[in-house]
Amino acid sequence: MTAAPAGPGRRHAPVRTWAVFGVLCLIALIYIFPFVIQVVTSFKTEVDSTNNAMSLVPNPATTEAYEKLFTRSDYTLWIVNSLIVTVVVTAGRVFFNSLAGYALSRLRFPGRRAVFLALLAVMSVPGVILLIPKFLVINQLGIYDSYAGMILPLLVDAAGVFIMKNFFDSIPVAVEEAARIDGAGTFRTFWSIVLPMARPALITLVILSFQGSWNEYSHFIVSAQSTNLFTLTKGVGQLASGGLSGGNQFPIKLGAAALMTIPVAVLFFLFQKHIMNTTSGAVKD
Amino acid sequence: MAQPTSTRRGSANRQGLAGWLFVAPVIVILGVFMLVPILMAVWVSVSDWSGNGSPLASGVNFVGAKNYEAILGGRGLTGQNFGLAIRNNLYYVLFVVPLQTIISLFLAVMVTRKALKAKGFFRTAFYFPSVTSSVAITVLWLFLFNTSGVINKALAAASIKGPNWFNEPAGVLGMLWTKLGMSETGALAQPGLFGISTWQWIQGPSVAMVAFILMAIFTTSGTFMLLFIAALQAIGDETEEAAMIDGATAWQRFRYVTAPMLRPTIYTVVTLGLIGTWQVFDQIAIGSKGDPAKTTVTPAFLSYQSAFVDLAWGRGAAIAFVLFGIIVAMSILQRFILGNADATASTRQERKLDAAARHLAREKREAESSRGAA
Amino acid sequence: MNRPTKAGIAAVALLSSLSLVACGSGFTSTTSAAPSTAAATKSKITVLIGSSGEAETTAVKTAVAAWSTKSGTPAEVQVASDLGQQIAQGFASGSPADIMYVGDQFAAYAKAGNLYDYSAQMTNKADFYPSLVQAFSYKGQLVCAPKDFSTLGLVINTDMWKAAGLTDADIPTTWLQLEAVAKKLTTGGVVGLTYGPEIARLGALMAEAGGGLVDASGAATANSQANIDALTFAKKLETEGVAKNSKDLGAGWGGEAFGKKLAAMVIEGNWISGAMSKDYVGVGWKGVELPAGKAKGTLVFSNCWGVAAKSKNTAGAVDLVNFLTAKDQQLAFGKAFGVIPSIQSAADQFKTDNPNLVPFVNGAAYAQSLPAQPGTKAVIDDLNSKLPGLKTADPKAILDAAQTNLDAALKG
Repeated sequence: MTAAPAGPGRRHAPVRTWAVFGVLCLIALIYIFPFVIQVVTSFKTEVDSTNNAMSLVPNPATTEAYEKLFTRSDYTLWIVNSLIVTVVVTAGRVFFNSLAGYALSRLRFPGRRAVFLALLAVMSVPGVILLIPKFLVINQLGIYDSYAGMILPLLVDAAGVFIMKNFFDSIPVAVEEAARIDGAGTFRTFWSIVLPMARPALITLVILSFQGSWNEYSHFIVSAQSTNLFTLTKGVGQLASGGLSGGNQFPIKLGAAALMTIPVAVLFFLFQKHIMNTTSGAVKD
Repeated sequence: MAQPTSTRRGSANRQGLAGWLFVAPVIVILGVFMLVPILMAVWVSVSDWSGNGSPLASGVNFVGAKNYEAILGGRGLTGQNFGLAIRNNLYYVLFVVPLQTIISLFLAVMVTRKALKAKGFFRTAFYFPSVTSSVAITVLWLFLFNTSGVINKALAAASIKGPNWFNEPAGVLGMLWTKLGMSETGALAQPGLFGISTWQWIQGPSVAMVAFILMAIFTTSGTFMLLFIAALQAIGDETEEAAMIDGATAWQRFRYVTAPMLRPTIYTVVTLGLIGTWQVFDQIAIGSKGDPAKTTVTPAFLSYQSAFVDLAWGRGAAIAFVLFGIIVAMSILQRFILGNADATASTRQERKLDAAARHLAREKREAESSRGAA
Repeated sequence: MNRPTKAGIAAVALLSSLSLVACGSGFTSTTSAAPSTAAATKSKITVLIGSSGEAETTAVKTAVAAWSTKSGTPAEVQVASDLGQQIAQGFASGSPADIMYVGDQFAAYAKAGNLYDYSAQMTNKADFYPSLVQAFSYKGQLVCAPKDFSTLGLVINTDMWKAAGLTDADIPTTWLQLEAVAKKLTTGGVVGLTYGPEIARLGALMAEAGGGLVDASGAATANSQANIDALTFAKKLETEGVAKNSKDLGAGWGGEAFGKKLAAMVIEGNWISGAMSKDYVGVGWKGVELPAGKAKGTLVFSNCWGVAAKSKNTAGAVDLVNFLTAKDQQLAFGKAFGVIPSIQSAADQFKTDNPNLVPFVNGAAYAQSLPAQPGTKAVIDDLNSKLPGLKTADPKAILDAAQTNLDAALKG
């Protein structure tokens, strides 16, 4: 990169940059404020949340919303269900997507191109179209209203396969050739040699899978109905529709929503460098 | 590397078997939970299945295009509800897609300025809403846009009386027409496309829908901002510098240098935006359920409601497929309008491959860069 | 290479769909015939309810638990967040709740064969009010036991009433008086009258004007002059500022607006007593009969205990329903959340137990019910979607549209 020449533009830059900084700060405030007010409101009483909606200081500060949340609703159960589903789905996706991605990338088998095209076609089908049909199939298979019905359909996703395939495409073949000459079987080669090299893509996959299944909503509507299979999304959705009766109950609802955002938020902050970098990498096409 | 023929064939067979074994789970699960459901739903949409027993049982009859006629014919409540759903979603798309594209591009440009401090903080702040679930955001929005909620209190501080947001069915354009003296009379009141009168078509999004539009922009601008940041960083600084030497202003630089090079990314963002906005469901199902006055009913929600609430499964399935057709048509239309960097692909296969190739190229770049960064 | 594999994939798809048909175990065919055997009487019974509030939920849970202990059969109460959707999904999946509240969707469910006909096993069949029996009969059989009924009345905030200088003599018995009283009660932050913006409330005005969505013979009369007069009257109150619908007041239903002291009077049903005693304890209230238009009029609402045809324990379910519709239990429900027993023999006791609900019981004598034939629900939903905007809308246009839709629906 050539050194930036001094020119008329440069002298104005600091002022303009500070103006930009100011505008961005304002916008960032707009983006952050809703979440701040959400957390603050969850510590207010219901009356306070209605009368002093904008105030950033609860008056009085109370944890009654959270107490009610955990005693009057099945919040703990929802957390457990969400955890079960998310962990199994994430593990499943990591395993099956990387298997399939590796096969599509490295293994020569008849029908490979057809499978590739079929996956493409599947990716182009919008999820919402599948709501009714998935219900019909899940019911027909007899796994309606069970963990199996909630987990199985989410266990793989076409986009994840592509992410892995893409990544494997970029690994030099030489590594595997070496392993194969040593007599390693296909699975061994995959599991012990190639997969460990795929860490960055796997991290992406873990993040996307966790986020996707933790935040999933419409699929859980059609795959289960019992209250003891409710996940956080379904439970909090029910709260929002007035499941607790009597009054607005914003502190409880906002507290419930805030708590359920924490895991994805933590994951986000831990891996944000990774997320930001993977989508803002330099291109050398 | 020379290998004896038998081992090569042997290893090829092993590879073949391994290959199929490796992709088997994906094929089975996607086949069972995506392909087969679509086939079953096609059947349900042309049958009279009432929701009792299996749709593949013997008592269920073929009724041809009856459900599709009822939806698209515009007559009766079924047709009118579908027309309203299309109208609502159309305005939603027309407002959200351009706004989110422009805003995310704007944010990306701002955040990638060279001398800017705290880039990471801003990127995080703008992207954070995208990781939250639609359920959580909807709950938050119901609170913020309540009649006596935060937004209205903020507006009151600026001496503006905020509307009743989620309960206000008046269309934003409709309020303008009413001010101009027009009203629902004469030709405007005649049933038109899909059984909805012209007056209803020109209402624009209702105030309640506007709240959802704002929510959509809030939650997706971060994701698209990242895409634009990637593209901007790919463009690199040299072109900017060169333009600066030539004495071009910031706006000229953007318009004639940066924007054209962003065209593929803009195309991607708009495509993803179109596909996403036509499917809006979660927020409606949790938030407004179509109220007020059916101004937030969308085809996706109508499909769900017809099947799961009104027990009209055939109708629900038919609506879902019509929606699918709309999304495909929109993607194709958008391609023609915005044009494409690559040559026009003739067959559907090639078009799909085209889009996938670009998608894969992007993933490859991400993987490469992450490997470089890791 | 592609052709055989494409055929291969097609074959796989075909095979899998055929196998789904073969091993489809989620759907079972409907039989609403014989009750289950003794071996099944201990299987758990689920009761799905749509609750009006905590008072109702607690009351039903207590009752079901008592029966469960007595009979030795486990039973569970589930509160629905969206009763209609959950029932529909239950029926479609073949695993519905055993017992559920069934209201305006009764005809649709009965027609689809989803309800178990236990008329032969109802213990107090002869005691139900005839109008309720008619509402829940399908093809001449009382398929579903009426659980209670409620009517609409005018609920008044007694403190605000006194503060405005009004006495018992001022209780409105005509529309003009209602308007005058509402004017007097409208002050700074309080509006005189409120109601939910739906036919289930404004329909009372229509009944008072001598109208109704359907007439006695069942023909659609949505755009009759009487109905137009009724909606015009409500619109007048709203434009004068003496009435506001509950949505405009930011409340979820009329009772909430009333309980939060946003309105001095509300058109609501007797179930409001439960909410008032649990959620809005400090508010003094009183129920009176609605004023007359051309004549006295109000709406009656009722639900029944639907037993699912696919229930695995129909004998146990029927036993539980008989328990819940018994006189003592219904009177207990009445006390807990203010619904009126569906059996005639409990009427007097109920009036003695709940003196401030007497006007609601009296309303039963002249109450109308909303049409419930299959297809009418969609029409009512559509009509309801337009009523929140009544203040700026044209009542005749709204009712004309409803008439067209209702005609189409009643034709079948």
